[in-house]
Amino acid sequence: MTRRIAVELNGILVEAEVEPRLLLSDFIRHGAGLHGTHVGCEQGVCGACTVQLEGEPVRSCLLLAVQADGRSLRTVEGLAPAEGLHPVQAAFQERHALQCGFCTPGFLMTIDAFLRDRPDPSEEEIREALAGNLCRCTGYRGIIEAVELAAERLRRA
Amino acid sequence: MSGGAWVGRAVPRREDARFLRGEATYLDDVELPGLLEAAFVRSPFAHARLGAVEARAARALPGVAAVLTAADLDAAPLPVGAIEGATVADAGHPVLARDAVRYAGEPVALVLAETRALAEDAAERVDAEYEPLAPVLDPRTAAGAPPVHEHVPDNALVRWSRRHGDVDAAFAAADTVVAQSFHIPRLVAAPIEPRGAIARHDPGTDVLTVWCSAQDPHRPLAQLGSSLGRERDRLRVIVPDVGGAFGSKGAVGVEVAAVAAAAVVLGLPLRWTEDRTENFLSAYQGRGLDADVELALAADGRILGLRAALFADLGAYLYATTPVAPHTTAMLLGGTYLIPAVSVEVVGAATTKVPTGPYRGAGRPEAALLIERMVDVAARELGLDPIQVRRRNFVPPEAFPYETPLGWTYDSGSFERCLDAALELGSHASLVEERDRARAEGRVAGVGVGMYVERAAGLWESADLRLEPDGRVVVRTGSSPHGQGHETTFAQIAADELGVDPEAVEVVWGDSGEVPPGVGTFASRSVAMGGSALVVAARELKQRAEAAGLSLAELVAAEGGAEASARFSSGLVFASGAYLAAVEIERATGRLRILSLAAVDDSGRIVNPLLAEGQVLGATVQGLGQCLVEEAVHDEEGQLRTASFADYSLLTAAELPPIASRFVETPSPLNPLGAKGIGEGGAIATPAAVANAVADALAPFGVRHVDPPFTEAKLWRLLQGDPL
Repeated sequence: MTRRIAVELNGILVEAEVEPRLLLSDFIRHGAGLHGTHVGCEQGVCGACTVQLEGEPVRSCLLLAVQADGRSLRTVEGLAPAEGLHPVQAAFQERHALQCGFCTPGFLMTIDAFLRDRPDPSEEEIREALAGNLCRCTGYRGIIEAVELAAERLRRA
Repeated sequence: MSGGAWVGRAVPRREDARFLRGEATYLDDVELPGLLEAAFVRSPFAHARLGAVEARAARALPGVAAVLTAADLDAAPLPVGAIEGATVADAGHPVLARDAVRYAGEPVALVLAETRALAEDAAERVDAEYEPLAPVLDPRTAAGAPPVHEHVPDNALVRWSRRHGDVDAAFAAADTVVAQSFHIPRLVAAPIEPRGAIARHDPGTDVLTVWCSAQDPHRPLAQLGSSLGRERDRLRVIVPDVGGAFGSKGAVGVEVAAVAAAAVVLGLPLRWTEDRTENFLSAYQGRGLDADVELALAADGRILGLRAALFADLGAYLYATTPVAPHTTAMLLGGTYLIPAVSVEVVGAATTKVPTGPYRGAGRPEAALLIERMVDVAARELGLDPIQVRRRNFVPPEAFPYETPLGWTYDSGSFERCLDAALELGSHASLVEERDRARAEGRVAGVGVGMYVERAAGLWESADLRLEPDGRVVVRTGSSPHGQGHETTFAQIAADELGVDPEAVEVVWGDSGEVPPGVGTFASRSVAMGGSALVVAARELKQRAEAAGLSLAELVAAEGGAEASARFSSGLVFASGAYLAAVEIERATGRLRILSLAAVDDSGRIVNPLLAEGQVLGATVQGLGQCLVEEAVHDEEGQLRTASFADYSLLTAAELPPIASRFVETPSPLNPLGAKGIGEGGAIATPAAVANAVADALAPFGVRHVDPPFTEAKLWRLLQGDPL
């Protein structure tokens, strides 16, 4: 048994026949072939699979693909410009906010949405906003600094 | 020493763009036509006889290609590694269980289907007969427990001991002897990308290609070759981008061997992508050590002798690297100190748990915790300042190279300078004042230091270097990244040696068909060994040009490109450092707050301070996790009770304390870069420093020692005066 879904994925309409049990994360990765969204735990804890659903960060391993039917999704592939880097991505590079990079797309999608809501966050607010994403490599400080740097640049832009 | 414009500069990473844009290729991103997906049937029991495995119902499901058991695979157990001077049992991990299962989660059968979901559906329909046996859980009492392996009746998989000097006389002559028992729990490395493998066999050439989320291609190549009986020219290992490893992707897992063997049997390309539950249950875990340690001291604080018995919880089988950590702990027990008489015994016990293996630090954090806690316990007993006791016993700078009584030779170090730097960086004097003020107000506060010595590098590593006529420089290295930033640091090294821009340097790694044979990336060895191999290759090219009376560019033009290959070998190098921690324990709840950490690492010459500090911060936060929350807990039946991120916590950004980092650079004399190792110091020294600070905080409550992790429940009970 499958269901037909239509999702606006990074601005492009994607239609597919999916099993009702198919996770949104698996649909994005294997159905739509967008490998930038990573699966780290499938338990809703690590945040590596974070994408934006109607602009809000969600864990795509905790949603079914059918729940995204008729809605818009944005993944890390939709964050980066065709050339170069988004301001949050550039700040990540400058502040060495990534090492293995596996958790990075989830952080980026969380932070992009966060800075839209809170363009001038305190360090405390940044830490709270990041607390739903796990990074095992960096120890987080570079990520916190990257958010501060990106926020400052986005405010000036 | 090489010296130039790039080594020593904090340049951002060149490789970042592909990770930031979502364009990296991790194992599960590799696409091959016709890939079948794997799921494993795993033992639900920690210890049982295994009877018939009934798979007809599973095979009958649509979309299921095969269900394989041990009898179907032509694969020997993975090879067991040797340790110098140790007796090591023949207890390699079977690729699939046969006749018995020895830990909950051990692979029993392999299901292959069109999708992972179908493979999991089918795995649930496989019916294996189990006759449960008593679990063996405690390494201290394993000798008297039923044998985990019939041919190892005392459950001692590894035995090792060493003695130097007159230990009995040292203890007899001592003014004070202090003794302490320790339990250092098992930890889970928990890279955010779990493990995985893809295998494809070409029947025409008989070449088996294995893509593997691993720390390097070399060890999978050797270990799979051994298990599958395959020569190197019939096996190729490709390591794609790797989402973290921390030691846990060094020795190849049995699942990888199973998938590789199955690809040959079935003639179909197969993929296993590990899920998080599997990673908790079946990736080898770290640490897991009990110890009894005694220190003999003179009244002035001089250490006269050390005696230790180590009981390592090795688990059910020996992976190639399983014996390494307890041996390293034993060899480093003297730490940064001159100890004339030492006796250490190690028993690596078989238990019915998943095997242990290297996890960031791999024996070094245990050694640092043991000796640094003992120094503090002794100082308190003697009524001396623990910092003064350390100063009194340091191996002095003029003693290097220093052969320890246990037999390793420390190449270089400036231990007192590291300590002074940490005390200054962390404002020790004011921390102590603040602690005393807090105590006067009835709060519970402590300050502690932890020194460390880190065995790093050693063996050899390779580099092939090619200068193209168009100006490109191609470096093929035996080292292999999984987050460290080799594409940047190796380009910096090549740029200085060859006088080119790092942007001109392409770093090729990870594919055994493309890179020269090598040893791999572990033990903080990439820069010291792989980087030095690159330096040697570059200097050979320069010498060749000089001998021909040409510049490098002229040589390249004349020959249509120029190549050199090098292998660099060296003895072990020893990074070191000093960490300072200040803590406060909430009296009402037992909650531990880390107020500040100062981290001083002597990693020799630093190639890229930005990346080096990244290693320090990352390792330190892992070390803090060990202090605060991390512990792999097995219940009395041997079931892992902490098998998800909900039960086994990692620290988040919200819990990050202030961490200050500084480097002392005592160059290693053993390699042309003067480099040591930077990857592990934070994970080694942080638990020791925090453990000393916690013990300092609890001393007014009559507590001498607490084992990590320092959980609220544990500390609250101690504050109530309950013995643990």
